[in-house]
Amino acid sequence: MARVVVDVMPKPEILDPQGKAVTGALARLGFAGMSVRQGKRFELEVEGEVTEERLAEVRRAAETLLANTVIETFDVRVEPAPASAAEDTDAEVSDAEDSGAEDSGAEDSGAEDNGAEDNGAEDNGAEDNTAAENVAESAEEAELTAQAG
Amino acid sequence: MSPKIGVVTFPGSLDDQDAVRAIRLCGGEPVSLWHGSDDLDGVDAVILPGGFSYGDYLRCGAISRFAPVMAEVIKSADAGMPVLGICNGFQILCEAHLLPGALIRNDVRVFVCKDQDLQVESADTTWTSDFTRGQMITLVLKNGEGGYVADEDTLRRLEDEGRVIFRYVNGNPNGSFHDIAGICNERGNVVGLMPHPEHNVDRLTGPTQDGRAFFSSVFDFLTAKV
Repeated sequence: MARVVVDVMPKPEILDPQGKAVTGALARLGFAGMSVRQGKRFELEVEGEVTEERLAEVRRAAETLLANTVIETFDVRVEPAPASAAEDTDAEVSDAEDSGAEDSGAEDSGAEDNGAEDNGAEDNGAEDNTAAENVAESAEEAELTAQAG
Repeated sequence: MSPKIGVVTFPGSLDDQDAVRAIRLCGGEPVSLWHGSDDLDGVDAVILPGGFSYGDYLRCGAISRFAPVMAEVIKSADAGMPVLGICNGFQILCEAHLLPGALIRNDVRVFVCKDQDLQVESADTTWTSDFTRGQMITLVLKNGEGGYVADEDTLRRLEDEGRVIFRYVNGNPNGSFHDIAGICNERGNVVGLMPHPEHNVDRLTGPTQDGRAFFSSVFDFLTAKV
């Protein structure tokens, strides 16, 4: 089981009223010099190995339903699943998959800027890995509770 | 025999009953269609009504566009059946790629509900033949995501081919590109607009009766065809 993340953002030329509202609220709260664009993040738990074919399928899913490519761009990347994130070796392997996903993802977004953002996201991902151990248990509990409910 | 006009009800549709009532008041035979059905019950035309189908989850119209009934609507529209999308119905038609472009949140960031002045830009569609080009009309407008957007090429094509059929006048209420309130497909049988013709068919409940011409237009078309 692997986690594939699809990030969807409004195209730069499309007005983002939600981001504008958040930008205004941040300024009012004293967080100066922050301009926000608001998008969506989808986390897909994908069964089996994440092959190139599987990623291509995710991209098709993103193009078909998750994003409206008239007004939005999307970016697909692989993230280590919470359960397998405990060991460093796993995390490294997943990182390698990440960069693979970026290469192939580039043709979709066609934006190098997005790629740069991804690199930043990987750094955050490393932090996530260490935190993931702690979170994993409570996440499982939450799932069980949800199923019971 | 009066023409049979289908009105699709999705989970979260709001104005389906108003559309049914408007069809009846204007002399047609309304047929209620269910989103989960894959049969159009032999109707002559279809209206996708306003509302918040599927709670506007993901994007307005994004999930409804894949409802079973839509496969039939798309097939019939491609074959020339008149299809009218009102408000959420317009959003669904764009998501289904029966019409180009998309509708995004109003630039004013609030839900707009008002009597909206419009200019008729084209009477060359199945749903607007009873208007005259340049006519000024007023219809109820009520939406949170009515800003029409499309890329430059698409906008140019719409303008060049006379497919912008209604434009907002006396102020653009939502940031729509080119003040666009409604458009049609190449053939003119598929029309989408944000304002609500079905709320403007009698004196008691609407500011005008300008919505009636939509129904008389399609009735004329269907009668002539028979």
